[in-house]
Amino acid sequence: MKKTAIARATESTAAANVQHDAVHTGVKGFSRRDILNKSAGGVIAATAFGAVPLRGWAAEPVNIGALYPVTGSMAQIGQGCVNAAKLAVQMVNDAGGIKSLGGAKLNLVISDIQSDTTVTRTETDRVINGSKVSAIHGCYASALTLIASEVAERAKVPLITGSSSDQLNVNRRYTFTPFARASQFAQAQLQMARLVNEKPKVAVIFENTAFGTSTSNGLREKAPGEGVEIVLFEPYSAGFADASPLINKVKASGADMLFSVSYLNDLILIVRTIKQVGLKIGLNGGSGGFVIPDFYKTVGSLADGLQGVAHWNHDSDENAQKVNAVYQKTYGEFLFEYAGGLVAQTFMLADALERAASTDPQKVRNALAGLDVSSGYAAMCPGGKVKFGPDGKNIYGHPVGVQWQNGDLASVFPKEDARAPLMKT
Amino acid sequence: MLETLAQAVINGLLIGGIYALVSIGVTLIFGVVKIVNFAQGEFVMIGMYITFFLATRFGIDPLVSLAVSIPVLFLVGMLVQHFLIRRVLGLGDMPQIFLTFALSLLLMNVALLLFTANYRTVHTGYSDESIHLGAFYVPVAKLIAFGLAMVFSGILWLFLHFTDLGKAMRAAAQNPEVAMLMGINPHRVFAVAFGAALALAGAAGSLLMPFYPASPMAGQVFVLMAFVAVVLGTLGNVTGALVASLMMGIAESLGIQFVGADSGLIVVFLMLLLTLAFRPSGLAGGRGR
Repeated sequence: MKKTAIARATESTAAANVQHDAVHTGVKGFSRRDILNKSAGGVIAATAFGAVPLRGWAAEPVNIGALYPVTGSMAQIGQGCVNAAKLAVQMVNDAGGIKSLGGAKLNLVISDIQSDTTVTRTETDRVINGSKVSAIHGCYASALTLIASEVAERAKVPLITGSSSDQLNVNRRYTFTPFARASQFAQAQLQMARLVNEKPKVAVIFENTAFGTSTSNGLREKAPGEGVEIVLFEPYSAGFADASPLINKVKASGADMLFSVSYLNDLILIVRTIKQVGLKIGLNGGSGGFVIPDFYKTVGSLADGLQGVAHWNHDSDENAQKVNAVYQKTYGEFLFEYAGGLVAQTFMLADALERAASTDPQKVRNALAGLDVSSGYAAMCPGGKVKFGPDGKNIYGHPVGVQWQNGDLASVFPKEDARAPLMKT
Repeated sequence: MLETLAQAVINGLLIGGIYALVSIGVTLIFGVVKIVNFAQGEFVMIGMYITFFLATRFGIDPLVSLAVSIPVLFLVGMLVQHFLIRRVLGLGDMPQIFLTFALSLLLMNVALLLFTANYRTVHTGYSDESIHLGAFYVPVAKLIAFGLAMVFSGILWLFLHFTDLGKAMRAAAQNPEVAMLMGINPHRVFAVAFGAALALAGAAGSLLMPFYPASPMAGQVFVLMAFVAVVLGTLGNVTGALVASLMMGIAESLGIQFVGADSGLIVVFLMLLLTLAFRPSGLAGGRGR
């Protein structure tokens, strides 16, 4: 509760910052200019036919649904997503809103899906039918996004998401995924192992749940193709009291790289135990909870040097750094993977709305399908380009390899996305 | 191979010390008050949060905060016994089970509300250090935790066997009616037993903090092992619980090392099953105490 209060109190500061920021961005970056250029024709046409401005209507806001868990087990990350979503909408509105709709402002319809699948279903339904949304975004966790996506497909409302489950690209017409897919993460992790050692010996330890098993099986299948030898492939029961026996096993395997597919609590124990044992081994902790500021807060400087993978990182380009600076000033921590991607997604929606010149979900969907950006806030992601294939997947989408360096998360892989050299450990 | 085996035994023994602190508390309450305290793990959790806040707010070392967590939990134990447990004594098993189980759920959820589900860690100078002896390593924080766990268990044993209050406690456990005839106030004795058991849980919380993250669910990790140890070491038998806890720590470690990292508990429960099959009243036999 206290935290929310602080977040609320600082919101106005964020708005002020963004406003300030937007004035400067008029010249370079996203851009008021791009949008003006694109919409100039529209504005002239509208004036000529005496449409919006002459009738003296205030442009009606465009409703965008935002479905995130701000209570329950995923509350903390969900709250971060909502913060980023608000920031992004503010940025679009301060830059003049949607010009082709007479400068219409984006209006965020926020819904708490409570980290619960049933609530996600009813809330998605409620937001779509109750608020006349043009598009929705959500939900952080793939398990929840899959459900929201089903509802959105039936209602024929476009959904844009940073969730990584490959299932979101199967038999879907209204679901768009601008970032790397789960299946690509394994490959990136394996390739990163070769940064340290040409012929890496990798130990894979994973919790024996659906999440752990599917992720680690993906690693095992792709390892031979990437020239990586897996010397230990070990499921464990999540929630252990002591990681020493497991790490003792890793030590005995002679591995020089460890992939740990774990939730936060187990990972904390694993990292600390490696230090206690004095084991010289690289560690790749994957994505999700491993690449958020909280991980460093909990593990401290022991995290420095640890590698992970992400679908977005705040150092990718100038725009990302700019948004990150604003977010950091307001919330005191860097803009994390999912939240940063969410800012880019909001600008993708704005781009689509601009071209659709309509709030009709069907037309917005078609405009999204035709999205093709390589500059501005909409394109801030690994690779710097977004264009959707027929399955709703960004054809340029790929993960970025990251490393904790002095409390910050630096992009280190692949070469074209690297923004800092790999820190030797 | 032999090296790995020896290291696995060391690892198991060290964590077994923590299991012992939790299980001795459970077995003490069962032996004296004749009630199963399902909330024991949550009192470990409370001990962890006390230690965490003392460390982060006042910079107090977890080992120093034992001086706070032990008396605070002792007092909490007396109060819980006096205001809650006393009301359900003699009412049969069901109300007692529901009471302590409800207490466990309540404490967990209050902690969730107050502290959120985030993991909290405390770093001390010795948190991530180890003593290296040849090929072996012994983590300092765990060694300290193990040593103090043994000391506290020893103090409890001496208390039970050599003080009047301790003897009164054992008398009340053996036969409350006769004890009362001898002038022993059972409620006072029960309150002290409950307090002592929770003090051990508090100590476990403080000792865990340098190397284990606190969270509202943290107690659950340790309480399951504690219950197995209590049954294995004969219900109500303090020495039995201690020995069984150490054995289980080692069995779990060896299971992870040589069977599989998801089979540690399988080995432990296999031990429990075999014990129940051949010595139904536990390793210490019929002697409860």
